[in-house]
Amino acid sequence: MKPHANSFTLSTLAVIIFTSWILAGANVAFASPRQNILADYAARVKIQTPGFEGFSTDRGKKLFLSKPGTGKPDIPSCTTCHSNNPANPGQTRAGKAIEPMAVSRSPARYTDFKKVEKWFRRNCKSVTGRICTSLEKGDFLTFMINQ
Amino acid sequence: MDSNLHNNLPRGPVEKPDQYRLVWDLPLRLFHWFMVIAVSVAGITGFLAPSWWLDTHVVAGYAIGILLVFRIAWGFVGSHYSKFRQFPMAISGMLRHLRMITTGKSDDHAGHNPLGSWMIAILISTLTGLVLSGLVALAGQEKLGPLAFLTTYQVGHLAKEIHEFIAFVLLGAIFLHLTGVFAEIYIFRHPVLKAMFTGKKPMANLSPGMKTSAYIGRGALVFVVFGVLLIGVGASLAGKPPMGWRAVDVPADYKSECGDCHVVYHPGLRSKEAWQSIMAGLADHYGEDASLDEASVASISSYLEKNDAGTFDTKAANQMGKVNTPTFRITETRRWKRKHRKIEPSVFRLKSVGSKINCNACHEDASTGLFNDSNVNLPNGAQE
Ligand code: HEC
Ligand code: HEC
Ligand code: HEC
Repeated sequence: MKPHANSFTLSTLAVIIFTSWILAGANVAFASPRQNILADYAARVKIQTPGFEGFSTDRGKKLFLSKPGTGKPDIPSCTTCHSNNPANPGQTRAGKAIEPMAVSRSPARYTDFKKVEKWFRRNCKSVTGRICTSLEKGDFLTFMINQ
Repeated sequence: MDSNLHNNLPRGPVEKPDQYRLVWDLPLRLFHWFMVIAVSVAGITGFLAPSWWLDTHVVAGYAIGILLVFRIAWGFVGSHYSKFRQFPMAISGMLRHLRMITTGKSDDHAGHNPLGSWMIAILISTLTGLVLSGLVALAGQEKLGPLAFLTTYQVGHLAKEIHEFIAFVLLGAIFLHLTGVFAEIYIFRHPVLKAMFTGKKPMANLSPGMKTSAYIGRGALVFVVFGVLLIGVGASLAGKPPMGWRAVDVPADYKSECGDCHVVYHPGLRSKEAWQSIMAGLADHYGEDASLDEASVASISSYLEKNDAGTFDTKAANQMGKVNTPTFRITETRRWKRKHRKIEPSVFRLKSVGSKINCNACHEDASTGLFNDSNVNLPNGAQE
């Protein structure tokens, strides 16, 4: 009886270790495009601001909630389309649902650099009337990753 | 045989029950009442119901078509009084009948009297015209049904106008028919309505009638043969690809680049020139920045231009797609505005719709470009 029980515990342990190893591996593979995008923005910021200390969730949140009033009158804020809470789905002006911006809700977000850049270009222009800086982009992503 | 028939005759209202004879065979009577039902359904759905009742209207129309073919065949192979040969259609007879009516009488006719015969001829021909024009309209406008493979939108459009005109003619004909029936019953005292239920008429001068069970088997046979034939041929023709419509796949870049903010529009909803202008102005796209990299613009433009409204012959392509507007919008065409004018603005703001440009919220088949009447489905909480 006893040796049997022992081998059972052992194999369970092995399965757990193996599974968490696989999961961890997948997680790294999954997170890396997003981390790469962040690292890319950080590198660009560092060129201009040598004393750069890292992106800030708070600044990202402020950008998300702000109403700069310098863009298109119909589109005053990021929240116009993305809703006030990043965990909630948003809606475009044409009525189509937008998946939540928070990474915890939409794990596939911010993994395609071209897509991220395209939407920063469009949405920042519409809301603020200008292009967002790399600092703003990094702050925004950091805020969303921590949601 | 004959005495047996007499014994089963109803007693009561008429003094000489032994003079009742079977005149209308059972298949004819069934035909008549099914026709009443089918025409009522088609009439109500056609005149009164909203357009998304088209499916029911069309089913009623198919039923009328099969019934008509049966009746026409029955006019050749049915029992004595059902045969067209027995209809007193001669003009001289009709004039005599009319003269008699002006004196307040209508002579006995075992089958139809002259006016009644003409009435049947008019009803059968208007109904035939309605079914045929309906089939052509369905084919050209909706790209559905057995004639869709050879009918253009223009022809379908014309057929629809004719269909609507004949429908009013039929209303008039039905009114005359009912007037005649009421006159026969209440003025001339001929129980013609009862005869259409029992098949029997009280006639003194009538040769011995047929058996109650006569012609039932033949009627069933004729009905099944023509029914199966029509449905079989109809279904196989309806399976052919419709003229002026084809399925187009949605390329991945069109779907992802133009489908993030709103539904992806069927390319047949705009003309080549309108698509070119829309694609050239993406940086300021209806108040939003929808700018794209050049490669995507080129590939999406070529798809849209290759499948533009000019390459489709559907209702939506003809009425809206080929019509250019200053803003290049579909929703600014006259036809779009007219078709949606009864929809309250609050319906477009419903959470499940969001905007008038969200065609798919109400049109189940928007992605096919067909926009069929029967596929309109207003979301919950929206009443036209
Ligand atoms: C007019 C509506 C609208 C406004 C305002 C808006 N967005 Fe967006 N945003 C969208 C749409 C639509 C998408 C793409 C849909 C999707 O990815 O689910 C999107 C996507 C994005 C993405 C890409 C997400 C990803 O998965 O890669 C980012 C980043 C983004 N928005 C940032 C912003 C920021 C920052 C603001 C405010 C400055 C903003 N948006 C304001 C409509 C809007
Ligand atoms: C950034 C968001 C966005 C993107 C991306 C976008 N559109 Fe639009 N589009 C809009 C908005 C907003 C409207 C107007 C909405 C309204 O009036 O309610 C619109 C309207 C339209 C209309 C007119 C609808 C009407 O009223 O008849 C067409 C056609 C259209 N878009 C085509 C396209 C095509 C083609 C693409 C891809 C190249 C595209 N759109 C990409 C936001 C977008
Ligand atoms: C809120 C729901 C709603 C939306 C959104 C909507 N439609 Fe419709 N549409 C209707 C209804 C209802 C009818 C039927 C009107 C009738 O026949 O009385 C209709 C009719 C039509 C027809 C049929 C015309 C005909 O001759 O029978 C076309 C084509 C059409 N719509 C195109 C569009 C297009 C294109 C869009 C998007 C730009 C759109 N619709 C958006 C509800 C809607």
